[in-house]
Amino acid sequence: MNENKLNVTINTGTSVIQDLYERKGSTLKDEYRQATAVAFMDPRDMDKLNLKPRDKIEVKTNWGEVVIYADKSHDKPHQNMIFIPKGPWSNIVISPETYCCNVPTYKGIKGSIKKTNKPVLLLSQLIKTNYNKYDVIDTRSIEKQELPLYKKMEEEKND
Amino acid sequence: MEYILKNGIVVDPVNKINCEKKDILIKDNKITDKVSSKAKIIDVTGKLVMPGGVDIHSHIAGPKLSVGRLYRPEDTRRGIKKCSEIDGFEAGYSLPTCPTTGYRYTRMGYTTVTEAAVPPLEAKHAHEEINYIPNLDIPTLVLFGNNWFVLKFVKNNDIKNLALFLSKWLKLAKGYGVKVVNPCGSEAWGWGKNVHGLDDPAPFWDVTGREVIHALTQANEMLGLPHSVHVHTNDLGHPGNYHTTLETFEAVKDIKKNKNVKRDQILHGTHLQFHAYDGTSWRDVTSAAGYLSDYINKHDHISCDIGQITFDETTTMTADAPMEYDLYKLTGLKWANKDIEVETSSGLIPSIYSKKAPVSTLQWAIGLELFLGINNPWKLVLTTDSPNAGPFIRYPRIISWLMSSKKRDDMLDNEVHNWAYNRTDLGTFDRAYSWEEIAIITRSASSKILGLNDRGHLSVGAKADIAVYDIDVDDFDPTLKENSSIIENKLLNSLYTIKNGEILVNHGKIIKLVDSNHLWCNVKGNEVQEEKLIKNIKPDFNKFYTVQYANYKVPDSFVKPEERYDVNTKIKE
Amino acid sequence: MTDSKPITDFDRIIENCACSYCGNNCDDITYLIKDNHIVGVRNACRIGASKVISDQDQRLKNPMIRNKEGILEEVSWTKAIDETVKVLKESMRPVMYGWGETSVEAIKEGLKIAMKIGAVIDNQSTICHGSTIQAFQNIGHPVLTLGETKNRADMIIYAGTNPMEDHPRHMTRYTAFPEGLFRPNGRKDRFVMTWDPRYSNTAKCSDKWVKYNHDEDYAFLTALRMAVNNHKLNKKVIAGISAEEIYKIADQMKNVECGSLYFGLGLTQTLAKQRNIDILIQLVQDLNKYTKWAMLPMRGFFNVNGFNMIMTSITGYPYGVDFARGYPRYMIGETTTIDLLNRKEPDVFMAVSTDPGIQFPGQTLKHLIDIPVIQIDTHWGPLTELADIVIPSTRIGVETCGTSYRMDSVPIYMKKIIDKPENCKSDEEIFNMILNKLGGKN
Repeated sequence: MNENKLNVTINTGTSVIQDLYERKGSTLKDEYRQATAVAFMDPRDMDKLNLKPRDKIEVKTNWGEVVIYADKSHDKPHQNMIFIPKGPWSNIVISPETYCCNVPTYKGIKGSIKKTNKPVLLLSQLIKTNYNKYDVIDTRSIEKQELPLYKKMEEEKND
Repeated sequence: MEYILKNGIVVDPVNKINCEKKDILIKDNKITDKVSSKAKIIDVTGKLVMPGGVDIHSHIAGPKLSVGRLYRPEDTRRGIKKCSEIDGFEAGYSLPTCPTTGYRYTRMGYTTVTEAAVPPLEAKHAHEEINYIPNLDIPTLVLFGNNWFVLKFVKNNDIKNLALFLSKWLKLAKGYGVKVVNPCGSEAWGWGKNVHGLDDPAPFWDVTGREVIHALTQANEMLGLPHSVHVHTNDLGHPGNYHTTLETFEAVKDIKKNKNVKRDQILHGTHLQFHAYDGTSWRDVTSAAGYLSDYINKHDHISCDIGQITFDETTTMTADAPMEYDLYKLTGLKWANKDIEVETSSGLIPSIYSKKAPVSTLQWAIGLELFLGINNPWKLVLTTDSPNAGPFIRYPRIISWLMSSKKRDDMLDNEVHNWAYNRTDLGTFDRAYSWEEIAIITRSASSKILGLNDRGHLSVGAKADIAVYDIDVDDFDPTLKENSSIIENKLLNSLYTIKNGEILVNHGKIIKLVDSNHLWCNVKGNEVQEEKLIKNIKPDFNKFYTVQYANYKVPDSFVKPEERYDVNTKIKE
Repeated sequence: MTDSKPITDFDRIIENCACSYCGNNCDDITYLIKDNHIVGVRNACRIGASKVISDQDQRLKNPMIRNKEGILEEVSWTKAIDETVKVLKESMRPVMYGWGETSVEAIKEGLKIAMKIGAVIDNQSTICHGSTIQAFQNIGHPVLTLGETKNRADMIIYAGTNPMEDHPRHMTRYTAFPEGLFRPNGRKDRFVMTWDPRYSNTAKCSDKWVKYNHDEDYAFLTALRMAVNNHKLNKKVIAGISAEEIYKIADQMKNVECGSLYFGLGLTQTLAKQRNIDILIQLVQDLNKYTKWAMLPMRGFFNVNGFNMIMTSITGYPYGVDFARGYPRYMIGETTTIDLLNRKEPDVFMAVSTDPGIQFPGQTLKHLIDIPVIQIDTHWGPLTELADIVIPSTRIGVETCGTSYRMDSVPIYMKKIIDKPENCKSDEEIFNMILNKLGGKN
């Protein structure tokens, strides 16, 4: 096995802080990215990959790959298991398989992680990069990309 | 709108009209004796005309139904079909969807249906479902028999405050009457226990079913509510339980009826069939219908409905939760249960009543024995405790059994297990119900027992709720067994169902949908005392419940349109 | 919003409001209002409060349609509704998904549209407790209202759920901590146990943490059920727990006066899915031979249960209801949203008061690239980046009144607190406009 790579089981679920920003509705912002695009890891696993808290990792599964932050888990030891709060980042690597029982597979996904220097994308960039539904390039500065991109109505009055 | 229902054969027991040719005149929402020349004539020559049907006990709206549908999609699938006449669909069999419930009752000529068990905490749910049921007037009975505040008042023998509590709680839950289910037993189920008989106290409370029923009956009469207490007695479904049933009837005999009410009874015993078993176990069980009929024949303070078994695969649902767990242990079918804080428990389980099963046939025969053994039809009402003993769409079939002793004998001889013959007296009855008696047990008696005096008859000024059936009364012999399936079919699909003077069904097809009325009872004159009571119990309320008192009541917006029954009773301070 | 110093600058107090965050639906919230703005929230948890205060930069304030350049552009209501109706009318296989954060009054109107256009209508059950509902349908449904736990329970079990994070007031307002009639000393009168592979914050607040191995939940529950029924366990260690320990847990559970078991997505979303819940229900049924036990799923969105309720009332089925044939059909794995999208079957996707961009697997979302997406919501979120029509709605229990069903199906009527943003409309109003324009039969 490549020593820079660690095979892991991925679990996703709600975290109080991710949920807080989700309910508040600030999903485009860095605060949501910081809370949601993160894997909570056993410190011994972090050592293996030479990771410090808030370093970046690339998570890869059969279903996709995504760059997120790594951070120390405060749970009891759970080597080879990482926890990612539910959200647009974790969704990319989880399994759509329902086994004909309507619920996709959010927990217990096999995958691997490695340290990376690639950036953790803001939400709008993440959706753009990953799905590319519309051929639009956001030319705004990075800070501005934390705000919605849309065209205001010209006339003052609405019906 | 004005109508003349012309040349029908009218059955109107309140007015002693028994199969007479008569025109019925309608103006707006009432029956009248005069209409203008603009009145539209509906020719019903020779056809059977009755007041609209009134069901005194059915489970059609509220949390139990939702639990049932949620966990029995197989029941929904069973009744599913397109319904072109109303641009929609029907779904469900023992657990029809709300709209389906309205369609099916309307087609049967029923215009008023009582929802028999509403926990006040979830009364909003019941009223919301009523808003999805079309075409009926729906009074709701509110569960009180295991309510902690009730138990406390009973323990202190504080009938005055108990009456104030009932009065206030009917306003909060927008309820019509007082329902008691297995008093103390459903509370005991909070600890996985039950009570046995009338004198077995609820754990912790040290209050018995006898005391609860007595006190609630007293309070009900003190308030002069239009309906009496509506009681599902203890020990439902247990061999030997008829003792408890009789003791319950005896226990309230000393209570004086409120002089302002028109009903005769002070206690309505519901689904009596389930409470009419002799013996000590399911091995030696026999019918006790004779004892109960005999008692009711001799006493006027009791009325009842039957809860007739119809041989269907159905769903049982009741606030008698410990009984449902007993059934689960017996049958192993999928068991649902719902315990509701402070107020009650409840349970559901599918049930299969088979003609080949000894117990089902015994229950079937006991129900019929009660129908035939109680002499005065004004004391009883046709029900299946729908869907407990069978879905309400079986009422016409039951009527066909009641009208033909030949049909019953044929079933005893050729269709059902021999327990029906060996362990009951059903085979000895040759009584056959007349159309007049059928009208009494399906509309007139139920209206009177409920205290809904504006319906159940066709007097001038009565509500224009009328059913016309495609039966040529003079040329049709309902006693023939070959005719029983014709009776069933004709009564399932009315020729006309008229409610509030509007034609809702025409030749078996629904032609109009209207919103159902919420019927509730408003006791006036004690508002100050009620507020005082609330102030006193609020600390306990907030401690026991998980909702705020301010959010407990059913908002007015949930009960549109409503029909409010005001009762003026001042309770002495 | 979570300032520790008391807020004094307000001109109105509104009490007994219902929270529109999780399935707890707490109805004891107090709002402090100044100039039609909520400036303070009392009694609510952090998340509930954050939802009420909410982000203003991302609030949807005007209808928008994606223009030729691929950018959302604000339009009039008439144009947005006309375009929505056009898209719906042209569709063969529309899916209307979401509903967990709107009122039953709105759901009722939405359902009329689904019936009219022959859509599939589905809610978050499809990704959360759908497995639980399947298990109820398989085995049974022994549940309770929260007050039963508060008043009676001397043992509370949290299985595969972490209320401290996702239902923050569950333990403090309803279960472990409050005083009840038969538990006058609150927390002291109860034993709290958490079953979870993770040492969650709930486990930290419990008297006992039972750690089973990941994806061995089914084995653990089966062994426990065997122990409850006095069968012998043939292995020394099951799912990472010693047989001895399992006997002990079974014994503890059999010897309480009243037990309540709450379970969550930690059981419904692992591989055994509904089978985990099957066995859990059987466990509760078996325990009732010895003493009192009842259970309840920890429903997430405040009205996810209300959708199930109203759907069963009107269609007979709880979720994943398909009207393509003019009458309702419900086939798990066939008429359910994730399966439909995985099969690339839908040709229009409408999301109401929910953001599938947060909830759905990326592979599932990919189908939304190819079809028109209509979003009806209050905030700009991941789905907005994929939406072709965006319709701004109002927040139930804050800007619009309405009914919801708590996780235990107790109905809660939610008040209106402040006025809505000028050009937003309530979900109910939006569906009414769509219905009117849909006109006669499609």
